[in-house]
Amino acid sequence: MNIRTPLGQAAFFLILSCIIGFGSNLVREDKIPWIAPELATTESLDVTDETHEPILAVISLVQAKQLFDDGILFVDARDDAYYSKGHIQGAMKNAFLMELIFNIEARQSKADPLVVYCGDPGCGDSEDLAYDLQDSGFTKLYVFKGGWLEWSKAGYPSEAGQ
Amino acid sequence: MTRYFKVQVVFFFRLIVGIIFVYASWDKIAHPAEFAKAIGNYHAVPFGLENMMAMVLPWVEFLVGIGLIVGIMVDGAAIMSVVMNIVFIFAISQALARGISIECGCFSVTAEGGDKIGLGTIVRDIVYLAMSLVILNRQERRLEFFPKSI
Repeated sequence: MNIRTPLGQAAFFLILSCIIGFGSNLVREDKIPWIAPELATTESLDVTDETHEPILAVISLVQAKQLFDDGILFVDARDDAYYSKGHIQGAMKNAFLMELIFNIEARQSKADPLVVYCGDPGCGDSEDLAYDLQDSGFTKLYVFKGGWLEWSKAGYPSEAGQ
Repeated sequence: MTRYFKVQVVFFFRLIVGIIFVYASWDKIAHPAEFAKAIGNYHAVPFGLENMMAMVLPWVEFLVGIGLIVGIMVDGAAIMSVVMNIVFIFAISQALARGISIECGCFSVTAEGGDKIGLGTIVRDIVYLAMSLVILNRQERRLEFFPKSI
């Protein structure tokens, strides 16, 4: 690395920043983990919980079915084309965030529980959408990681079309 | 690029961009957890890497800012400034395109005093980007201490 060349200097800034940034994080009191933690899986599904603690948690297929049977609103975070091919029965279609929020609020309040899902456990759309909804003021959000893949495999109620 | 951007203009731009970077880094260095959350909100960084980014990025801003102000490795600092502003513009644009309404995390990352992303934040970054390009393309090196100016 030649710090007389422009690129060498840029590399120098980057490397020095890594050393100071990582080093200071090791010694400071309010240190943060190297990798941001993933969403925790919830144990309890008490949707009538009246405490005002905001919830954002991952749920399993069994828990998702339980919430489905309780009539909780599901939101499909996938694109239109996937939604049309097949989705969880009664699930709300994804849209531009503001429109989606409007649609949800036409049915329930921001404090009511809501399940978000996408294609399969590997897709990140449901989690992203859940965070967006949380930022927008929704307080009881469940992310069904298994998504459409697990739901359709289990043969639970589904429908196709818009 | 030659005659219009004279020595004074380049030095003025160096001061402006440098001070903005140092100022922007301050709150992030003080609050890494909040800054990591602010990065996470953009949903553009995979595998939870926003935490490592939150540790390093403020220091890049700080050092680049100092470099520009004092006149140390101005070429490298200008390159980093160009790269960072392009990344910021992309990050904000993709969030806006996806309809995510979030705090910018540009200057203040604590709950109070943050500004929302929008067209204004993009324009602001484009102005900084232009200033950085002028610095990078300067013809004369004045008030630079390393590598020494002529």
